[in-house]
Amino acid sequence: MGWDLIVILIVPFAVSVICWWVPTRIARALTLASGVLTFVLAVLLVPAKTTTALSGWLRVDALSVVFLVAVALVYGATAVFAIGYVHPAGDPGSAARYNRRFFAGLNLFAWAMAMAPVVNGLALLWVAIEVTTVVSALLVAIDDTDRATEAAWKYVLIASMGLGIGLLATIIMYYAGSTVFGNAYELFYPKVLSGAARFPPEVVRLSFVLAVLGFGTKMGLVPVHTWLPDAHSEAPTPISALLSGSLLAVSFYAILRFYQVTARAIGPAFPRGVLLAFGVASLALAALYLASQRDLKRLLAYSSVEHMGVLAIGMSFSAPIAIVGVLLHVLAHAAAKSSAFFGAGSITRKFGTKDMSRIRGGIGALPWSGPMLVLAVLGLSAMPPFGIFRSEFLIVSGGLQDPRDAVAAVLVVGVTLAMLGLSWFTSRTMLTPSVEDSSRGEPSAWIVASMVIGLAALAILGVHPPGQLSDLLTRAAGELGAQR
Amino acid sequence: MAAVPAVPSIFSGSTEAIALVVLLTEFAMLRAHLSRSQVRLYAFQSLAVTALAVFVAATKHVDQLYVLAGFSFVLKVVVVPSVVSRLLRDARVDIASSHRFGVATMVLLAIALSVFGFFVVGSLPVHSKSLPAPALGLAAAVILVAFLLVTLRSDVVSQAVGFFALENGVSVASLVVAAGLPLIVEVAFLFDLLVAVVVFGLLMRIHHGRARTLSTEALDRLQG
Amino acid sequence: MASTHEFRDVEAWVVAVELAPAQIQVLQVLTILVFAPLLSGWIAHLEARLQGRRGPRILQPYYDLAKLFRKETLVPEDAGWVFVVGPMVAFTCYLTVPLLIPVLTTFPLPLGYMGDILGGGFLLGLAGFSVALAAAETGGPYAQLGSSRAMTFGALIEPSILFVTFAVALVTTTDLPYFEAAAARASLSQVIRPAHLLIALAFFLVVLNDTGRIPVETHAGTLEFGMIDEARTLEHSGPLFALLKWGSAMKQMILYVLLVNVFAAPWGLAGSGATGSVVLAVLALLGKAFCVGAIFAIIDNSFSKLRLFKITEFMAAAFLLSILAVLVLYLGGG
Repeated sequence: MGWDLIVILIVPFAVSVICWWVPTRIARALTLASGVLTFVLAVLLVPAKTTTALSGWLRVDALSVVFLVAVALVYGATAVFAIGYVHPAGDPGSAARYNRRFFAGLNLFAWAMAMAPVVNGLALLWVAIEVTTVVSALLVAIDDTDRATEAAWKYVLIASMGLGIGLLATIIMYYAGSTVFGNAYELFYPKVLSGAARFPPEVVRLSFVLAVLGFGTKMGLVPVHTWLPDAHSEAPTPISALLSGSLLAVSFYAILRFYQVTARAIGPAFPRGVLLAFGVASLALAALYLASQRDLKRLLAYSSVEHMGVLAIGMSFSAPIAIVGVLLHVLAHAAAKSSAFFGAGSITRKFGTKDMSRIRGGIGALPWSGPMLVLAVLGLSAMPPFGIFRSEFLIVSGGLQDPRDAVAAVLVVGVTLAMLGLSWFTSRTMLTPSVEDSSRGEPSAWIVASMVIGLAALAILGVHPPGQLSDLLTRAAGELGAQR
Repeated sequence: MAAVPAVPSIFSGSTEAIALVVLLTEFAMLRAHLSRSQVRLYAFQSLAVTALAVFVAATKHVDQLYVLAGFSFVLKVVVVPSVVSRLLRDARVDIASSHRFGVATMVLLAIALSVFGFFVVGSLPVHSKSLPAPALGLAAAVILVAFLLVTLRSDVVSQAVGFFALENGVSVASLVVAAGLPLIVEVAFLFDLLVAVVVFGLLMRIHHGRARTLSTEALDRLQG
Repeated sequence: MASTHEFRDVEAWVVAVELAPAQIQVLQVLTILVFAPLLSGWIAHLEARLQGRRGPRILQPYYDLAKLFRKETLVPEDAGWVFVVGPMVAFTCYLTVPLLIPVLTTFPLPLGYMGDILGGGFLLGLAGFSVALAAAETGGPYAQLGSSRAMTFGALIEPSILFVTFAVALVTTTDLPYFEAAAARASLSQVIRPAHLLIALAFFLVVLNDTGRIPVETHAGTLEFGMIDEARTLEHSGPLFALLKWGSAMKQMILYVLLVNVFAAPWGLAGSGATGSVVLAVLALLGKAFCVGAIFAIIDNSFSKLRLFKITEFMAAAFLLSILAVLVLYLGGG
């Protein structure tokens, strides 16, 4: 068993290359096929134990599978959405050129993100994340407007600096290993973890802080989140969904890998403290910023920062139930945030603006995607019966078990504040009566379909997660050091 | 600080001297007024890093480092500076890059940052023979000053050069920390640079094409 | 044969006659006193040559001094006693500093323990201060401008000097100049260690500043707007002016001695009190000082003067180098 990893390694990449040559119609179909295939393969990996391929260079354990599923879910849903996505520019020549770049880039981006959890070793993980930066920066700039260029420049500059720090963290972790293994060894996870207990503690500590700072830049942790709202709001909608739903998760995955080693080497107290600090800052700041947004997609972007804060805080609790909650949260956030972005894309198409003061009566104008956007936003605000409710519930109860009641209280207050910001937006733009008699109707059925996928996943995660998935999450939490 | 510091060995002394050259070049970049001279300084800095790689390879007999040094010479000393200077030539814009503060203020800020970097590294109880702590401190200082270069300058070239300088700092750190890097980390390394060239080159071009300037002063639309 | 015999005699005399430490100490002062104008003349001559001029004779400063001493002293109407005393105090200071620093010998002389680097620095500072005070006393606008500028930039360069002192103290655990020189002589790795290179370089910049050289100040210029040190002496005349000129030549030589004998090239000093080695040490010192002078002349000709308000950048550079030296030392070894 291992062929499935190789398929994931090859297919999206091949599709990306092919998309450069074929007409848009075929590119769409291929992207859809590749997205669905990747998702199916990822789901098939759920019950499996650790799988390796290519003599150890590819390896997935339970932790990787969680993130692979998150990436594949958003990839599949985005592939559906992309069929309904139309290039804003008019003339057919430039539209064809745009689409070619767009689909090639989309698949390459998804490929790089799928690679990150699949490859074995900190160095390769870093390479994969660096590829995501490159591709996504170009995709953010693809609209070629002033604002998009500005967002892309900020993104590539800040994210590259962050990843430079991430590389430093990797190298320092390598140095920590070289005190145990000697000078030449591969940074495969099992090997590093096996020796981690003997690593010099101070070096590991430095490496972890640098890793959180470096990869945290890509994950959108305050105070190194500044690129995130710009890039999310200026990128084309499918790219925003991928950025928010998968890319942030993948960066979090990198931090978790460092967490794993660090916890093994110096005990979990220190990494928890670091994550707690970043998490509280992210949650608090994002919750406050949420209330003052005018741009629909920026609003969702800050909601992402908030949820990343929740993830970081969740990792700071020692109760196993909190870690299970964190991993579930990754999946639920991917599902909810991608459908919210799809809904935002639908609104943007319908109203021709992202400015929330000019959007009124969304629920009336968009008979399907309007209500579903409201549902997605409710999901993001941790309303039952959706997945985020379940995951945040687990995290908070983990915090109460820990017992770190104060932190749990901060978490609840922050999430509630964020909910206020989000619901204020919803009531203003969606639930108000329509001012102008705009026509009722959906821009595209595919957009609706993509949202249905996301919301269905979100509801399943919330109402009754499949047993194998729960088992997977428990195993992954075990790998992260949670005692059963 | 109480005891008399021992005289360093020739190896660590030379490593530190080269690392010092790297840091001082970065200070010169901070001072440089012309984008063109910044690019030249970057080329010189990369040359120093290459020299460090060759030196470490020779003294520690790590043959693969020669390959790395060769690549880094080609990329950092030749390709990147020529790409950026061609861009500058094509841009035909005012090549004077802008300062937000006076030079002396910036240098003092950078000194403060370097001191911080030194103390962070100094607080690590790592005193192995293979790790010249001052060189690591210098590398940390290079990285921190690179951040200053990026944040205090408001033109595309300086910011890109600042990033490249950060990359050089990471190179120095990796050379002194882990001379026998596994090949995969080295590949990651070169990859990083290649990527940087491609993306930055492309974005600088796009940015210039759209804004008709290489200044980032105009980039203030996205806030909040 | 007779001449050989005579030569042997001289040789024997040279080896046999030991100079007492006190005599050497006096000789140190005399070396500085006598040869300082020669050094200035050499630099001026070389500078002219580098610019394609024939230039003044190397001995010209002596003639200048002799002429100035024969002239009468003019004191401005409003000036008080400070105007007269200032140059004398400065001159005395410059005569005292050579007692403290390794001019000719590797071993500390009796009065060498009288003051450390800071002590020497205080004396130089006192000299500069009294000159500035004397200049301010005149009420002449340019002289006052010069003294206020000299004080300002002196204050700005002060941190670099302090950090150089700290670095020396970290290397040798004392701040006696003799021991830094001894440490540098001890091994080659001591000389190429980054901290040592850095402090040497920082001190070089300090010397550039303190001797009023490009890029801080034009040495031989007549343009008052850019003047710093030179402007202070504008109102003095006759023997007082001669003392100031001589004093500034001595200051220059003292700084060169510190630069070569403490940091850059502490070789060729007399290891014992034997007359021969002391004479050799004088010659070696002159050779080294002439080399340094040549470097300064070349710098003078290859760079342009910084604008006055850009001089802070120069100070920042010197500060950077010296603080880096301390930091590198702090991190162990350096």
